[in-house]
Amino acid sequence: MNAGRPAVVWGQIAGHAAAAGQRASVADVCAVAMGPAQVSGAWVTVSGDRGPDFVMCVTDPVGEQLAELQLTLGEGPCCDVLASAAPVLAADLGDEDSGRRWPGFAAPAGRLGAGAVFAFPLSVGVIRTGVMGLYCNSPGSLSVAQLGDALILADAATLLLLDGLQHGGDGQAAAAGGLPVSGQPPDLAVHRAEIDQATGMLTVQLSVGIAEAFARLRAYAYVSDRRLADVASDIVGRRLRLHRDPGGDGAR
Amino acid sequence: MDADLLSDTFVALADTMVADFDIIDFLHMLTDRSSRLLSASAAGVVLADPRGQLRMAAASSDEAGLIELFQAQNDEGPCLDCLRTGQSVTATDLAGPAQRWPRFAAAATSAGFGTVNALPMRLRDQVIGALSLFSAGNTPLGQEELRVGQALADVATIGLLQERNVRRAETLAEQLQAALNSRVVIEQAKGRIAERHALDMDQAFRLLRQHSRNTNQRLTDVARYVIDSPTADFPPQPRR
Repeated sequence: MNAGRPAVVWGQIAGHAAAAGQRASVADVCAVAMGPAQVSGAWVTVSGDRGPDFVMCVTDPVGEQLAELQLTLGEGPCCDVLASAAPVLAADLGDEDSGRRWPGFAAPAGRLGAGAVFAFPLSVGVIRTGVMGLYCNSPGSLSVAQLGDALILADAATLLLLDGLQHGGDGQAAAAGGLPVSGQPPDLAVHRAEIDQATGMLTVQLSVGIAEAFARLRAYAYVSDRRLADVASDIVGRRLRLHRDPGGDGAR
Repeated sequence: MDADLLSDTFVALADTMVADFDIIDFLHMLTDRSSRLLSASAAGVVLADPRGQLRMAAASSDEAGLIELFQAQNDEGPCLDCLRTGQSVTATDLAGPAQRWPRFAAAATSAGFGTVNALPMRLRDQVIGALSLFSAGNTPLGQEELRVGQALADVATIGLLQERNVRRAETLAEQLQAALNSRVVIEQAKGRIAERHALDMDQAFRLLRQHSRNTNQRLTDVARYVIDSPTADFPPQPRR
Protein backbone atom coordinates (compact mmCIF):
# COMPACT_ATOMS: atom_id res chain seq x y z
CA MET A 1 0.00 0.00 0.00
CA ASN A 2 1.33 3.38 -0.96
CA ALA A 3 -1.22 6.04 -0.05
CA GLY A 4 0.95 8.82 -1.48
CA ARG A 5 1.28 7.32 -4.94
CA PRO A 6 -1.73 9.03 -6.60
CA ALA A 7 -0.31 12.47 -5.83
CA VAL A 8 3.03 11.46 -7.40
CA VAL A 9 1.38 10.23 -10.61
CA TRP A 10 -0.87 13.29 -10.82
CA GLY A 11 2.24 15.42 -10.40
CA GLN A 12 3.83 13.66 -13.36
CA ILE A 13 0.78 14.32 -15.52
CA ALA A 14 0.74 17.99 -14.55
CA GLY A 15 4.50 18.21 -15.09
CA HIS A 16 4.27 16.69 -18.55
CA ALA A 17 1.53 19.14 -19.51
CA ALA A 18 3.43 22.11 -18.09
CA ALA A 19 6.58 21.14 -20.00
CA ALA A 20 4.56 21.35 -23.21
CA GLY A 21 3.06 24.66 -22.07
CA GLN A 22 -0.44 23.21 -22.01
CA ARG A 23 -3.15 22.32 -19.56
CA ALA A 24 -3.33 18.64 -18.65
CA SER A 25 -5.17 16.39 -21.11
CA VAL A 26 -5.56 12.69 -21.76
CA ALA A 27 -2.54 12.97 -24.10
CA ASP A 28 -0.40 13.69 -21.04
CA VAL A 29 -1.90 10.67 -19.28
CA CYS A 30 -0.94 8.45 -22.24
CA ALA A 31 2.56 9.89 -22.33
CA VAL A 32 3.06 9.39 -18.60
CA ALA A 33 1.81 5.80 -18.89
CA MET A 34 4.95 4.99 -20.80
CA GLY A 35 7.00 6.24 -17.84
CA PRO A 36 5.86 4.86 -14.49
CA ALA A 37 3.68 2.09 -15.86
CA GLN A 38 6.58 1.12 -18.15
CA VAL A 39 4.48 0.08 -21.11
CA SER A 40 5.36 0.34 -24.81
CA GLY A 41 2.40 2.48 -25.74
CA ALA A 42 -1.03 3.74 -24.70
CA TRP A 43 -4.29 4.99 -26.16
CA VAL A 44 -7.60 6.37 -25.02
CA THR A 45 -10.90 5.77 -26.77
CA VAL A 46 -14.03 7.70 -25.92
CA SER A 47 -17.52 6.24 -25.82
CA GLY A 48 -19.67 8.88 -27.41
CA ASP A 49 -23.30 9.24 -26.37
CA ARG A 50 -23.97 10.83 -29.73
CA GLY A 51 -22.00 8.54 -31.99
CA PRO A 52 -19.62 5.61 -32.25
CA ASP A 53 -16.58 5.25 -30.04
CA PHE A 54 -13.54 7.05 -31.35
CA VAL A 55 -9.80 7.10 -30.66
CA MET A 56 -8.95 10.28 -28.81
CA CYS A 57 -5.22 9.92 -28.43
CA VAL A 58 -2.43 7.45 -29.02
CA THR A 59 1.26 7.45 -28.24
CA ASP A 60 2.49 5.62 -31.35
CA PRO A 61 1.41 3.92 -34.60
CA VAL A 62 1.20 0.45 -33.04
CA GLY A 63 -1.07 1.75 -30.29
CA GLU A 64 -3.22 3.45 -32.90
CA GLN A 65 -3.60 0.26 -34.90
CA LEU A 66 -4.42 -1.76 -31.80
CA ALA A 67 -7.11 0.75 -30.82
CA GLU A 68 -8.58 0.92 -34.34
CA LEU A 69 -8.49 -2.84 -34.77
CA GLN A 70 -10.62 -3.36 -31.68
CA LEU A 71 -13.12 -0.69 -32.68
CA THR A 72 -13.37 -2.18 -36.16
CA LEU A 73 -13.72 -5.79 -35.02
CA GLY A 74 -15.82 -4.98 -31.99
CA GLU A 75 -13.61 -7.49 -30.22
CA GLY A 76 -10.65 -7.33 -27.85
CA PRO A 77 -9.81 -6.44 -24.26
CA CYS A 78 -11.02 -2.85 -24.68
CA CYS A 79 -14.42 -4.01 -25.92
CA ASP A 80 -14.79 -6.42 -23.00
CA VAL A 81 -14.07 -3.62 -20.55
CA LEU A 82 -17.26 -1.88 -21.59
CA ALA A 83 -19.28 -4.95 -20.67
CA SER A 84 -17.60 -5.78 -17.37
CA ALA A 85 -16.80 -2.26 -16.06
CA ALA A 86 -13.53 -3.74 -14.81
CA PRO A 87 -10.02 -3.93 -16.23
CA VAL A 88 -9.27 -6.69 -18.72
CA LEU A 89 -5.66 -7.74 -18.41
CA ALA A 90 -4.37 -9.88 -21.29
CA ALA A 91 -0.81 -10.58 -20.20
CA ASP A 92 -0.09 -12.87 -23.13
CA LEU A 93 -1.98 -12.41 -26.39
CA GLY A 94 -0.28 -15.54 -27.72
CA ASP A 95 -1.71 -17.88 -25.08
CA GLU A 96 -4.65 -20.20 -25.50
CA ASP A 97 -7.04 -18.16 -23.37
CA SER A 98 -6.52 -15.01 -25.45
CA GLY A 99 -6.81 -16.89 -28.72
CA ARG A 100 -10.10 -18.40 -27.64
CA ARG A 101 -11.45 -15.20 -26.18
CA TRP A 102 -10.50 -12.88 -29.06
CA PRO A 103 -10.10 -15.08 -32.16
CA GLY A 104 -10.14 -12.10 -34.52
CA PHE A 105 -7.95 -9.78 -32.48
CA ALA A 106 -5.24 -11.80 -30.71
CA ALA A 107 -3.25 -12.94 -33.74
CA PRO A 108 -3.29 -9.64 -35.71
CA ALA A 109 -2.41 -7.75 -32.53
CA GLY A 110 0.58 -10.04 -32.08
CA ARG A 111 1.68 -9.40 -35.65
CA LEU A 112 1.46 -5.65 -34.97
CA GLY A 113 3.98 -6.17 -32.18
CA ALA A 114 1.82 -6.41 -29.05
CA GLY A 115 2.68 -9.18 -26.59
CA ALA A 116 0.25 -7.97 -23.94
CA VAL A 117 -2.72 -5.59 -23.87
CA PHE A 118 -4.19 -4.12 -20.70
CA ALA A 119 -7.53 -2.32 -20.90
CA PHE A 120 -8.98 -0.08 -18.18
CA PRO A 121 -12.47 1.37 -17.96
CA LEU A 122 -12.58 5.15 -17.64
CA SER A 123 -15.44 5.12 -15.22
CA VAL A 124 -16.72 6.18 -11.82
CA GLY A 125 -19.47 3.78 -10.81
CA VAL A 126 -22.15 4.08 -13.49
CA ILE A 127 -20.38 7.02 -15.15
CA ARG A 128 -18.51 5.73 -18.18
CA THR A 129 -16.48 7.86 -20.52
CA GLY A 130 -14.19 5.51 -22.41
CA VAL A 131 -11.34 3.05 -22.23
CA MET A 132 -7.61 3.40 -21.70
CA GLY A 133 -5.49 0.76 -23.42
CA LEU A 134 -1.87 -0.07 -22.72
CA TYR A 135 0.31 -2.49 -24.62
CA CYS A 136 3.71 -4.07 -24.12
CA ASN A 137 5.92 -5.49 -26.85
CA SER A 138 6.57 -8.63 -24.87
CA PRO A 139 4.10 -10.74 -22.91
CA GLY A 140 4.10 -10.48 -19.14
CA SER A 141 1.89 -9.46 -16.23
CA LEU A 142 1.83 -5.99 -14.78
CA SER A 143 3.38 -5.86 -11.32
CA VAL A 144 1.14 -4.66 -8.48
CA ALA A 145 2.91 -1.28 -8.60
CA GLN A 146 2.43 -0.99 -12.37
CA LEU A 147 -1.22 -1.97 -12.01
CA GLY A 148 -1.69 0.65 -9.29
CA ASP A 149 -0.15 3.34 -11.50
CA ALA A 150 -2.28 2.29 -14.45
CA LEU A 151 -5.43 2.54 -12.32
CA ILE A 152 -4.43 5.99 -11.08
CA LEU A 153 -3.75 7.07 -14.68
CA ALA A 154 -7.17 5.75 -15.71
CA ASP A 155 -8.78 7.79 -12.90
CA ALA A 156 -6.98 10.89 -14.13
CA ALA A 157 -8.05 10.25 -17.73
CA THR A 158 -11.65 9.78 -16.58
CA LEU A 159 -11.73 13.15 -14.85
CA LEU A 160 -10.03 14.93 -17.75
CA LEU A 161 -12.53 13.42 -20.18
CA LEU A 162 -15.45 14.39 -17.96
CA ASP A 163 -14.14 17.96 -17.87
CA GLY A 164 -13.82 17.88 -21.65
CA LEU A 165 -17.35 16.56 -22.05
CA GLN A 166 -18.69 19.28 -19.77
CA HIS A 167 -16.95 22.05 -21.65
CA GLY A 168 -16.56 20.77 -25.18
CA GLY A 169 -19.77 18.85 -25.71
CA ASP A 170 -18.26 15.79 -27.37
CA GLY A 171 -15.02 15.31 -25.51
CA GLN A 172 -12.85 16.53 -28.36
CA ALA A 173 -11.86 19.64 -26.40
CA ALA A 174 -10.01 17.58 -23.84
CA ALA A 175 -7.70 16.29 -26.55
CA ALA A 176 -7.42 19.46 -28.53
CA GLY A 177 -6.83 22.24 -26.05
CA GLY A 178 -6.73 20.52 -22.73
CA LEU A 179 -8.72 21.68 -19.75
CA PRO A 180 -7.92 22.14 -16.11
CA VAL A 181 -8.65 19.38 -13.69
CA SER A 182 -11.02 20.86 -11.15
CA GLY A 183 -10.07 20.29 -7.55
CA GLN A 184 -6.85 19.21 -6.00
CA PRO A 185 -5.53 16.04 -7.62
CA PRO A 186 -4.62 14.24 -4.37
CA ASP A 187 -8.11 15.01 -3.10
CA LEU A 188 -9.70 13.55 -6.19
CA ALA A 189 -7.41 10.55 -6.13
CA VAL A 190 -8.46 9.46 -2.65
CA HIS A 191 -11.65 7.54 -2.82
CA ARG A 192 -14.45 8.52 -0.43
CA ALA A 193 -17.85 6.90 -0.31
CA GLU A 194 -19.42 10.27 0.52
CA ILE A 195 -18.33 11.67 -2.85
CA ASP A 196 -20.31 8.93 -4.61
CA GLN A 197 -23.29 9.38 -2.29
CA ALA A 198 -23.29 13.15 -2.80
CA THR A 199 -23.13 12.62 -6.58
CA GLY A 200 -26.22 10.42 -6.37
CA MET A 201 -28.02 13.01 -4.24
CA LEU A 202 -27.23 15.75 -6.73
CA THR A 203 -28.93 13.84 -9.56
CA VAL A 204 -32.17 14.57 -7.67
CA GLN A 205 -31.34 18.08 -6.40
CA LEU A 206 -30.28 19.24 -9.85
CA SER A 207 -32.46 16.92 -11.99
CA VAL A 208 -29.44 15.92 -14.04
CA GLY A 209 -27.69 12.73 -15.08
CA ILE A 210 -25.00 11.21 -12.94
CA ALA A 211 -22.04 12.46 -15.01
CA GLU A 212 -23.27 16.03 -14.85
CA ALA A 213 -24.01 15.72 -11.14
CA PHE A 214 -20.40 14.65 -10.58
CA ALA A 215 -19.13 17.55 -12.70
CA ARG A 216 -21.27 20.01 -10.75
CA LEU A 217 -20.01 18.65 -7.45
CA ARG A 218 -16.41 19.06 -8.53
CA ALA A 219 -17.05 22.47 -10.06
CA TYR A 220 -18.62 23.66 -6.81
CA ALA A 221 -15.60 22.46 -4.80
CA TYR A 222 -13.24 24.11 -7.26
CA VAL A 223 -15.05 27.45 -7.36
CA SER A 224 -15.51 27.62 -3.59
CA ASP A 225 -11.88 26.49 -3.09
CA ARG A 226 -12.85 23.65 -0.79
CA ARG A 227 -11.86 20.01 -0.66
CA LEU A 228 -14.17 17.78 -2.67
CA ALA A 229 -14.52 15.39 0.28
CA ASP A 230 -15.62 18.25 2.56
CA VAL A 231 -18.23 19.52 0.10
CA ALA A 232 -19.50 15.95 -0.37
CA SER A 233 -19.69 15.51 3.39
CA ASP A 234 -21.77 18.68 3.72
CA ILE A 235 -24.16 17.51 1.02
CA VAL A 236 -24.54 14.04 2.58
CA GLY A 237 -24.97 15.68 6.00
CA ARG A 238 -27.65 17.90 4.41
CA ARG A 239 -25.86 21.07 5.39
CA LEU A 240 -25.50 22.09 1.75
CA ARG A 241 -27.80 21.87 -1.25
CA LEU A 242 -26.96 22.71 -4.84
CA HIS A 243 -29.57 24.27 -7.05
CA ARG A 244 -30.37 24.03 -10.71
CA ASP A 245 -29.39 27.63 -11.20
CA PRO A 246 -25.62 27.54 -10.65
CA GLY A 247 -25.76 30.97 -8.97
CA GLY A 248 -28.15 29.74 -6.32
CA ASP A 249 -25.95 27.15 -4.62
CA GLY A 250 -25.42 27.58 -0.94
CA ALA A 251 -25.70 26.34 2.57
CA ARG A 252 -29.16 26.00 3.93
CA MET B 1 -20.35 -20.80 19.38
CA ASP B 2 -23.72 -21.78 18.01
CA ALA B 3 -23.06 -24.93 15.92
CA ASP B 4 -26.40 -24.71 14.11
CA LEU B 5 -25.76 -21.10 13.16
CA LEU B 6 -22.27 -22.07 11.99
CA SER B 7 -23.44 -24.79 9.63
CA ASP B 8 -26.38 -22.69 8.53
CA THR B 9 -23.97 -19.85 7.66
CA PHE B 10 -21.79 -21.97 5.42
CA VAL B 11 -24.82 -23.51 3.73
CA ALA B 12 -26.28 -20.05 3.10
CA LEU B 13 -22.97 -18.73 1.74
CA ALA B 14 -22.57 -21.73 -0.54
CA ASP B 15 -26.16 -21.32 -1.74
CA THR B 16 -25.47 -17.71 -2.65
CA MET B 17 -22.45 -18.57 -4.76
CA VAL B 18 -24.43 -19.51 -7.82
CA ALA B 19 -23.52 -18.32 -11.29
CA ASP B 20 -23.41 -14.56 -11.73
CA PHE B 21 -24.07 -13.70 -8.10
CA ASP B 22 -23.58 -10.17 -6.82
CA ILE B 23 -20.28 -9.87 -5.00
CA ILE B 24 -21.27 -6.90 -2.84
CA ASP B 25 -24.50 -8.58 -1.79
CA PHE B 26 -22.52 -11.74 -1.02
CA LEU B 27 -19.93 -9.89 1.07
CA HIS B 28 -22.69 -8.03 2.86
CA MET B 29 -24.27 -11.34 3.83
CA LEU B 30 -20.89 -12.69 4.87
CA THR B 31 -20.19 -9.73 7.17
CA ASP B 32 -23.68 -9.92 8.62
CA ARG B 33 -23.28 -13.64 9.39
CA SER B 34 -19.74 -13.13 10.71
CA SER B 35 -20.83 -10.57 13.25
CA ARG B 36 -23.67 -12.76 14.51
CA LEU B 37 -21.61 -15.93 14.60
CA LEU B 38 -18.58 -14.44 16.30
CA SER B 39 -20.54 -12.24 18.70
CA ALA B 40 -19.13 -9.04 17.24
CA SER B 41 -21.13 -5.81 17.11
CA ALA B 42 -20.11 -5.25 13.49
CA ALA B 43 -18.02 -6.74 10.72
CA GLY B 44 -16.61 -5.36 7.50
CA VAL B 45 -14.64 -6.49 4.48
CA VAL B 46 -11.93 -4.11 3.39
CA LEU B 47 -10.02 -4.60 0.13
CA ALA B 48 -6.53 -3.48 -0.84
CA ASP B 49 -6.86 -1.25 -3.88
CA PRO B 50 -3.57 -1.29 -5.84
CA ARG B 51 -3.96 2.50 -6.11
CA GLY B 52 -2.68 2.52 -2.54
CA GLN B 53 -5.86 2.67 -0.50
CA LEU B 54 -8.01 0.51 1.73
CA ARG B 55 -11.56 0.40 0.41
CA MET B 56 -14.58 -0.96 2.23
CA ALA B 57 -16.50 -3.46 0.12
CA ALA B 58 -19.21 -4.41 2.61
CA ALA B 59 -20.23 -4.04 6.23
CA SER B 60 -22.76 -5.73 8.47
CA SER B 61 -24.32 -2.59 9.86
CA ASP B 62 -23.96 1.13 10.44
CA GLU B 63 -22.14 1.51 7.18
CA ALA B 64 -21.39 5.18 7.61
CA GLY B 65 -19.55 4.68 10.88
CA LEU B 66 -17.58 1.74 9.58
CA ILE B 67 -16.61 3.48 6.35
CA GLU B 68 -15.04 6.21 8.46
CA LEU B 69 -13.20 3.66 10.57
CA PHE B 70 -11.76 2.00 7.48
CA GLN B 71 -10.85 5.31 5.90
CA ALA B 72 -9.01 6.25 9.09
CA GLN B 73 -6.88 3.15 8.56
CA ASN B 74 -5.26 4.41 5.40
CA ASP B 75 -2.61 5.81 7.72
CA GLU B 76 -2.55 3.30 10.55
CA GLY B 77 -4.60 0.54 12.12
CA PRO B 78 -5.05 -3.19 12.54
CA CYS B 79 -6.43 -3.73 9.00
CA LEU B 80 -3.45 -2.00 7.45
CA ASP B 81 -1.06 -4.07 9.55
CA CYS B 82 -2.99 -7.22 8.69
CA LEU B 83 -2.64 -6.43 4.98
CA ARG B 84 1.05 -5.68 5.32
CA THR B 85 1.93 -8.77 7.32
CA GLY B 86 -0.66 -11.25 6.07
CA GLN B 87 -1.28 -12.22 9.70
CA SER B 88 -4.36 -11.72 11.82
CA VAL B 89 -4.10 -8.66 14.05
CA THR B 90 -5.95 -8.07 17.30
CA ALA B 91 -6.36 -4.69 18.92
CA THR B 92 -8.02 -4.63 22.30
CA ASP B 93 -8.61 -2.11 25.10
CA LEU B 94 -8.78 0.64 22.49
CA ALA B 95 -9.92 3.19 25.06
CA GLY B 96 -6.87 2.53 27.22
CA PRO B 97 -3.58 4.45 27.33
CA ALA B 98 -0.49 3.81 25.18
CA GLN B 99 -2.15 2.87 21.91
CA ARG B 100 -0.19 1.38 19.02
CA TRP B 101 -2.46 3.25 16.58
CA PRO B 102 -3.55 6.36 18.52
CA ARG B 103 -5.68 7.96 15.79
CA PHE B 104 -7.40 4.71 14.86
CA ALA B 105 -7.99 3.90 18.54
CA ALA B 106 -9.63 7.28 19.07
CA ALA B 107 -11.89 6.81 16.04
CA ALA B 108 -12.82 3.27 17.13
CA THR B 109 -13.52 4.36 20.68
CA SER B 110 -15.80 7.17 19.60
CA ALA B 111 -17.65 4.68 17.37
CA GLY B 112 -18.17 2.53 20.49
CA PHE B 113 -15.67 -0.26 19.81
CA GLY B 114 -13.15 -1.59 22.33
CA THR B 115 -11.77 -4.51 20.33
CA VAL B 116 -10.97 -5.08 16.67
CA ASN B 117 -9.84 -8.32 15.03
CA ALA B 118 -8.53 -8.17 11.47
CA LEU B 119 -8.25 -11.47 9.58
CA PRO B 120 -6.33 -11.64 6.30
CA MET B 121 -7.94 -12.55 2.98
CA ARG B 122 -5.12 -14.45 1.31
CA LEU B 123 -4.67 -16.00 -2.08
CA ARG B 124 -1.35 -17.79 -2.54
CA ASP B 125 1.31 -15.23 -1.56
CA GLN B 126 -0.98 -12.23 -1.93
CA VAL B 127 -3.08 -10.51 0.73
CA ILE B 128 -6.05 -8.94 -1.00
CA GLY B 129 -8.03 -7.65 1.95
CA ALA B 130 -9.19 -8.28 5.47
CA LEU B 131 -12.30 -9.35 7.32
CA SER B 132 -12.60 -7.05 10.29
CA LEU B 133 -14.64 -7.75 13.41
CA PHE B 134 -15.54 -5.01 15.85
CA SER B 135 -16.90 -5.43 19.35
CA ALA B 136 -17.81 -3.15 22.18
CA GLY B 137 -15.99 -5.00 24.96
CA ASN B 138 -12.33 -5.70 25.52
CA THR B 139 -12.36 -9.45 24.88
CA PRO B 140 -10.56 -10.56 21.73
CA LEU B 141 -11.76 -13.60 19.75
CA GLY B 142 -10.84 -16.99 21.20
CA GLN B 143 -8.92 -19.68 19.31
CA GLU B 144 -12.01 -21.39 17.94
CA GLU B 145 -13.62 -18.13 16.92
CA LEU B 146 -10.43 -17.07 15.17
CA ARG B 147 -10.42 -20.29 13.16
CA VAL B 148 -14.03 -19.81 12.11
CA GLY B 149 -13.32 -16.14 11.36
CA GLN B 150 -10.40 -17.12 9.16
CA ALA B 151 -12.58 -19.64 7.34
CA LEU B 152 -15.09 -16.86 6.68
CA ALA B 153 -12.29 -14.59 5.42
CA ASP B 154 -11.22 -17.40 3.07
CA VAL B 155 -14.79 -17.74 1.79
CA ALA B 156 -14.80 -13.99 1.10
CA THR B 157 -11.67 -14.48 -1.04
CA ILE B 158 -13.27 -17.36 -2.92
CA GLY B 159 -16.33 -15.19 -3.47
CA LEU B 160 -14.20 -12.50 -5.07
CA LEU B 161 -12.74 -15.00 -7.50
CA GLN B 162 -16.20 -16.32 -8.31
CA GLU B 163 -16.22 -19.13 -10.82
CA ARG B 164 -13.56 -17.56 -13.00
CA ASN B 165 -10.35 -19.14 -14.15
CA VAL B 166 -8.10 -18.81 -11.11
CA ARG B 167 -5.01 -20.00 -12.98
CA ARG B 168 -4.69 -16.55 -14.52
CA ALA B 169 -2.96 -14.25 -12.07
CA GLU B 170 -4.87 -11.37 -13.66
CA THR B 171 -8.30 -12.69 -12.70
CA LEU B 172 -8.11 -11.59 -9.11
CA ALA B 173 -7.02 -8.05 -10.00
CA GLU B 174 -9.90 -7.78 -12.48
CA GLN B 175 -12.46 -9.10 -10.01
CA LEU B 176 -11.20 -6.84 -7.24
CA GLN B 177 -11.71 -3.77 -9.42
CA ALA B 178 -15.13 -5.01 -10.53
CA ALA B 179 -16.12 -5.33 -6.86
CA LEU B 180 -14.80 -1.86 -6.04
CA ASN B 181 -16.67 -0.36 -8.97
CA SER B 182 -19.88 -2.14 -7.90
CA ARG B 183 -19.46 -0.57 -4.50
CA VAL B 184 -19.25 2.89 -6.13
CA VAL B 185 -22.40 2.17 -8.17
CA ILE B 186 -24.21 1.22 -4.96
CA GLU B 187 -23.02 4.36 -3.15
CA GLN B 188 -24.24 6.52 -6.05
CA ALA B 189 -27.63 4.78 -5.97
CA LYS B 190 -27.85 5.14 -2.18
CA GLY B 191 -27.36 8.88 -2.58
CA ARG B 192 -30.09 9.14 -5.19
CA ILE B 193 -32.57 7.09 -3.13
CA ALA B 194 -31.70 8.92 0.09
CA GLU B 195 -32.33 12.28 -1.53
CA ARG B 196 -35.48 11.25 -3.32
CA HIS B 197 -37.12 9.71 -0.24
CA ALA B 198 -35.48 11.77 2.50
CA LEU B 199 -33.76 8.75 4.04
CA ASP B 200 -30.35 8.31 5.60
CA MET B 201 -27.74 6.25 3.75
CA ASP B 202 -28.31 3.09 5.81
CA GLN B 203 -32.04 3.23 5.16
CA ALA B 204 -31.38 3.82 1.47
CA PHE B 205 -29.12 0.77 1.37
CA ARG B 206 -31.70 -1.40 3.11
CA LEU B 207 -34.33 -0.26 0.62
CA LEU B 208 -32.03 -1.07 -2.29
CA ARG B 209 -31.24 -4.48 -0.88
CA GLN B 210 -34.83 -5.27 -0.06
CA HIS B 211 -35.89 -4.37 -3.59
CA SER B 212 -33.12 -6.55 -5.00
CA ARG B 213 -34.38 -9.46 -2.86
CA ASN B 214 -38.05 -8.91 -3.63
CA THR B 215 -37.49 -8.74 -7.36
CA ASN B 216 -34.75 -11.36 -7.47
CA GLN B 217 -32.32 -9.04 -9.23
CA ARG B 218 -28.64 -8.50 -8.54
CA LEU B 219 -28.01 -5.65 -6.11
CA THR B 220 -25.66 -3.84 -8.50
CA ASP B 221 -28.15 -4.16 -11.36
CA VAL B 222 -30.89 -2.59 -9.25
CA ALA B 223 -28.48 0.20 -8.29
CA ARG B 224 -27.57 0.83 -11.94
CA TYR B 225 -31.22 0.92 -12.89
CA VAL B 226 -32.03 3.40 -10.12
CA ILE B 227 -29.40 5.80 -11.45
CA ASP B 228 -29.76 5.29 -15.17
CA SER B 229 -33.50 5.52 -15.48
CA PRO B 230 -34.91 8.95 -14.68
CA THR B 231 -38.23 7.45 -13.71
CA ALA B 232 -36.85 4.49 -11.76
CA ASP B 233 -38.45 4.37 -8.41
CA PHE B 234 -39.82 1.91 -5.99
CA PRO B 235 -41.98 2.69 -3.00
CA PRO B 236 -39.88 3.42 0.08
CA GLN B 237 -40.29 0.73 2.70
CA PRO B 238 -37.46 1.38 5.12
CA ARG B 239 -37.31 -0.97 8.05
CA ARG B 240 -36.09 0.95 10.99
